[in-house]
Amino acid sequence: MTTPDPDAAREAIEYCYEQGWTDGLPVIPATEELVEQFLAHTSRPPDEVLWRMEHLERECTVHTAAINAVMAGCLPEYFPLVLAAWDAVMRDRAAKGGGWQSTSGPAPLIVINGPIRHELEINCTGGIFAAGFRPNATIPRALGLMLRNAFGLVPHVFDQTTQGIPGRWAICFGENEEESPWEPLATEMGLAPGTNALSATLTRTYEFVDNRHTQDPEQLLNDFADTLSRTGSLIFRGQSSGVVFCPEHAQMLAGAGMSKAEVKDWFVEHVGRSETDLRRAGKDGISDSGPGARSASEAERAPADTFTPYFTAGKDVPIIVAGARNAAISMVFRVFGEWSNSSVEIEAAPVAATKGG
Amino acid sequence: MICSDAFKTTADAMAGVQGAPGYQYLTTPHPVAGLTPEQVRERAQDVVDAVARLLAR
Repeated sequence: MTTPDPDAAREAIEYCYEQGWTDGLPVIPATEELVEQFLAHTSRPPDEVLWRMEHLERECTVHTAAINAVMAGCLPEYFPLVLAAWDAVMRDRAAKGGGWQSTSGPAPLIVINGPIRHELEINCTGGIFAAGFRPNATIPRALGLMLRNAFGLVPHVFDQTTQGIPGRWAICFGENEEESPWEPLATEMGLAPGTNALSATLTRTYEFVDNRHTQDPEQLLNDFADTLSRTGSLIFRGQSSGVVFCPEHAQMLAGAGMSKAEVKDWFVEHVGRSETDLRRAGKDGISDSGPGARSASEAERAPADTFTPYFTAGKDVPIIVAGARNAAISMVFRVFGEWSNSSVEIEAAPVAATKGG
Repeated sequence: MICSDAFKTTADAMAGVQGAPGYQYLTTPHPVAGLTPEQVRERAQDVVDAVARLLAR
């Protein structure tokens, strides 16, 4: 590669800023040739409509997605993952129903399974929620740029985010299948073991559980239940939340004989709050007898000792294993609506693309 | 149409997308979500004359 002209590069990047195409960070200027390289990595036709937002009269095609994936800094071989990420998150009822414009400013959580994690050097271990890895950083960013540039979801106008989630367009990692004691997420979702697959959902907050203090699995689960039971992010009845377990926590639970399904069942039984707690936070409206979003009136209140579970079944508690063995620190996340409980197979690149054609 | 005043920018932009720039609508003070049924009735009282005027235009 010859040394590029930094002044010309800067000029092209500034041009993209002037057009309003960036999320605040510099983007890679998308030439037609580069976009074609991306399109060569999928069998899907460029004019295929990925999604149309009827109320905005805007749509995004495979071609538009490729342009935004270029701008996000993806490599051409990431493009099938960008398409799979879009398909996976759009299985969420909330994403179809206006969730992208929500005042919560929900963030897509993208989890990748299969050997493609190693082929593309997708980070699965240390720093999964931090920066430093190109596919992890650019695949979710491509979705953010698609929403901005194809659908016109610009902050303060059609993007009605109140504050948003830190790292909104940067939450993407591989599952640490090698150190997980349980079946990979995509296998749990019914795909064949070893399939290159991607799962995604919209999320509304992240909070970690640092517990290096006990070797008792029941105590550990109670620590998670306390964080999962917070009232702060609670908005409706039937909330869904998940856990990205670090390998150490997952191995401790598995070592005590618990399967992933059993951990989920434990959470279904134990995560929730008493009416007294909910009333103290003004959220007693979410109990069975309550009116929903607003605080309950005297007549609508449940008895003080009523326990309101947050989850209805194991499907409400997605469990993923990722991160390093460095410490016993895991992450709790809240699902924005209801996760589809499914995984999308990542399309293998057509032969011509893999040969550099 | 009535929306809470925090969403005026979005409502104006939406009117433009739908081919009706400058579409006339009413606002009520934000927030609305936590109001009691009685407070919602008071809000309706506050805005009812303006609704009638807008519909009669």
